[in-house]
Amino acid sequence: MIKLAIWFLLLLTLFASPFIGAVDLNFAEILTTDSLSSQIFLDLRVPRVLFAFFAGVILSLSGLLFQTLFRNALMTPYTLGISSGAVLGAGIAIKLGLGSLIFGIAAISVFGFLGALFTVFLLVYLSQFLKSSQHESLLLLGIALSLFYTSSLMIIFYLGDAIENDMLIRYTMGSLSVIGWDYPLFLGAIAVFLFLSLYLYKYELQLLSISDSQATLKGINTKKVTLTLLIISSLGIGVLVSISGPIGFIGLIVPHIVTKLHPSSVDKRIFSTALFGGFFLVFCDTITRSITTQSELPIGIITALIGGPFFIYLIISKSKR
Amino acid sequence: MIELKNVSCSFDDKEILKNINLKIKNHLSILGANGSGKSTLAKAISGLIHFDGEVSINAKKLQDINLIQRAKSISYIPAKLEVYDPYINVEEFVLLGRFPHKKSFFNYSSKDEKIAQGTLEFLRIAHLKKHTLHSLSSGEQQLTLIAQALAQQSEVIIFDEPTANLDPHNSKVIAQHIKGLKDYHQIILITHDIHLASFIDSPVVFIKNQGATLHENDFFEEATLERLYEVEFNSLVVKYD
Repeated sequence: MIKLAIWFLLLLTLFASPFIGAVDLNFAEILTTDSLSSQIFLDLRVPRVLFAFFAGVILSLSGLLFQTLFRNALMTPYTLGISSGAVLGAGIAIKLGLGSLIFGIAAISVFGFLGALFTVFLLVYLSQFLKSSQHESLLLLGIALSLFYTSSLMIIFYLGDAIENDMLIRYTMGSLSVIGWDYPLFLGAIAVFLFLSLYLYKYELQLLSISDSQATLKGINTKKVTLTLLIISSLGIGVLVSISGPIGFIGLIVPHIVTKLHPSSVDKRIFSTALFGGFFLVFCDTITRSITTQSELPIGIITALIGGPFFIYLIISKSKR
Repeated sequence: MIELKNVSCSFDDKEILKNINLKIKNHLSILGANGSGKSTLAKAISGLIHFDGEVSINAKKLQDINLIQRAKSISYIPAKLEVYDPYINVEEFVLLGRFPHKKSFFNYSSKDEKIAQGTLEFLRIAHLKKHTLHSLSSGEQQLTLIAQALAQQSEVIIFDEPTANLDPHNSKVIAQHIKGLKDYHQIILITHDIHLASFIDSPVVFIKNQGATLHENDFFEEATLERLYEVEFNSLVVKYD
């Protein structure tokens, strides 16, 4: 019953979300083209909801994937330092004064993407020196990388002036605000691609979620499958982080929430995790937009504020029995 | 037939197996002290670990057989089930035995499901099929592992200490199943359980001091056992038959 209520609330939010925001829309005008309400609705609100939905899909699927591949509940692209890499990349772009566009894309985004991608390849390279069973070591590597990136960023902060630092802080807080349909559609294509990849590899993932040796014994080239899926997911994360900045927490908690709501083997959780992640980020984004402050609350704050206590409740309530 | 030529294996610079030469024509039991390299040998044959030398199956080198073909010819049953995913159930786990037979990126066929269901019924654990693996007892886990191996329909089945975690009653159940399977599969049994080995009644390879010696029929004599294990034996045994 609670399960159904949660899903229903999230679904409701998805449809209500475009109507909620700083400016009250005139419902009658939405359908008339050229009106202000219609412009806000079609060029800002709907694209933003879609963008948030696909961002949630990518974040939660990547979380599910990393947790399954490495059989560790804490593995996400974020705990492995991939988002810190993106932030450092963006920081460097800002410090270098690259405010302009590269190939029509903001330099900050390009550098953020490169930072994320660099981190993935660095981790993949370093993981070759680990034994296949040492997934904890990989997590430690990621944490060490994160700390290194954060300290490097501190130096940039320290050297930066007020304007540069303001740009950087805003980027690190993450934002889902987009204008027009280009980003949402682009991100949607990536989200669908990521979903299909995971879906096609669902039985491989099921075997990998048992153990590496089980997967090998059933005929899976574990290194190849792992690397393929990691690169696909990292591309998604890299693109997303480059546009929106880092949005933490979703990748960590959504797979766990869905597991608690629907306890089942990983192959049956791919669709529900994607859907829940999308809904949940739209839900959080709707709240940031409906709280009236001088400027918009950063999305990362809300995901952690809502997700954190809910997550703790789920862990405690299930382990009581 | 499985053939090992000069197989050596080391872990962290410690040599476990040294120049093992072995022809496994049919059933075989591998015995030896703790840490003597029994499991290492089994893992080398199943391709789970790196080794020097050459292992061939039906005159084909292991390295040249792709992983799917390997899975079709050998299945390996570990002593203990280690599962990260806490929600996978018995039915799903056994169905994974059909993975090597499945078309890649496709779902399991109804034939696959029938075969999996058949092995569950054969081992009399069909009533457990919706149970998660974590909720099973050690005996039920061992039966589930066997069910998966049977669903895999491989020519060779390697049992790695199947009774190590079991009480006498469950050991007997497993022992009888293993013996029954000798008619349909080539059984390689790794065990400490001398009575199990004697009940299964296959030729024995004893691993000691990094080397292997084959005992066709003198192994279960008290004098041989006492010499190999360097302990005295008395006759307190569980009857498996």
